[in-house]
Amino acid sequence: MPLEVDFHGVLMPGLLPVFLGCLLLMVLLDLVLGRRGLYRRVWHPSLVRLALFVCLFSAAGLVLVH
Amino acid sequence: MKNLSLLRFLITAAVVIVAAVLGHALWKHYLYAPWTRDGRVRADVIRVAPDVSGLVDAVRVRDNQFVHRGDVLFVVDRARFRNAVAQAEANLAAAEAAARAAGANIDAARASAKARQAQYRMYAEQAERRQRMGDVISREARSDAAATASAARASWQQARAGGSQAHAAREQATAAMEQAQVALDRARLDLARTEVRAPVDGYVTNLIVRVGDYAATGNPLLALVDSHSFYVYGYFEETKLPHLHVGDPVDVRLMAGGVHLEGTITGIARGITDRDNPAGADLLADVNPTFNWVRLAQRVPVRVAIDTRGLPEGMVLAAGMTATIEVRPSGDRKPPHVVAAHDTP
Repeated sequence: MPLEVDFHGVLMPGLLPVFLGCLLLMVLLDLVLGRRGLYRRVWHPSLVRLALFVCLFSAAGLVLVH
Repeated sequence: MKNLSLLRFLITAAVVIVAAVLGHALWKHYLYAPWTRDGRVRADVIRVAPDVSGLVDAVRVRDNQFVHRGDVLFVVDRARFRNAVAQAEANLAAAEAAARAAGANIDAARASAKARQAQYRMYAEQAERRQRMGDVISREARSDAAATASAARASWQQARAGGSQAHAAREQATAAMEQAQVALDRARLDLARTEVRAPVDGYVTNLIVRVGDYAATGNPLLALVDSHSFYVYGYFEETKLPHLHVGDPVDVRLMAGGVHLEGTITGIARGITDRDNPAGADLLADVNPTFNWVRLAQRVPVRVAIDTRGLPEGMVLAAGMTATIEVRPSGDRKPPHVVAAHDTP
């Protein structure tokens, strides 16, 4: 993973595009899981959604870093 | 119903725990991985100052020009220093003449002493003869002869003392001659130093000296960036220091064009200023109040030697440029004693 990203002359940390990508992926996942009714089978739906996003982002970040 | 609520709790807990573990791993990597975006290209800068004072007569370089070691940068007005050399030469000639005169004086004093000695001998013999004659000549004439002999002896001794004095005077004159020689050498050195030369190969930077400026001794007039001295300083947070060592290979990426350079860590600074300890009024420590929860990591400079051969053709490297520095994973080695334990079978 590049440590930083050059966006029109502004150098930003390399994790920022990963974060944005994960956010997009999360929206899609959210739609799919919501349709399948998974959120009715968990304790706190919003906590699970947050945890899912953290999982996605951290996993992507770790994979790209190593 | 009971089973269903337990299942719902377990699914939630599992997802949360996995999220916590992954998040912690990423956080740890971000905090401890040895890389930094705060790298600075640096170079040795020589502040060139004249060794003699005077009006600037000529400036032989342009701003940002490359100069070789020994090239003339600017010239201080030479007239005064030529005069000083001429004066010192004249002084030397005078001192040499004085030394020759002193040498002649010695010969004169020696001759004079010999004459006085002969005179003394003559008077002494005369006095002795008259003493032996007894009452044939008057007592007055005898005592006169003895007094004349004594006077001649004293005069001889005076002449000998004059000889010693002449010797001393010649030594003095010789020393004065050496002094004049040293003064001449110094005047010639001053004259040579009116041409201010480049001490190293490098680039003239921020040239603000103009013809007609007054150059004062020791007052820097231009900066010379040593072209062989470029290196990078990485300001690593203290949390990352345990993972880097002297000799580790690093990747340096310049902000300018994303140019990659190879580098090696050559040293880690052993001290930075404690910002919490300036002396306040009454010489008491001026300690900042602080949040106990948030602690900021200090940054410690790490010196990186770079291989400038990796620069693309025509690429300008300037001191002060920004660089990203990443210590390579191969450098993230274990402490020496652990390695040794592994190596021994």
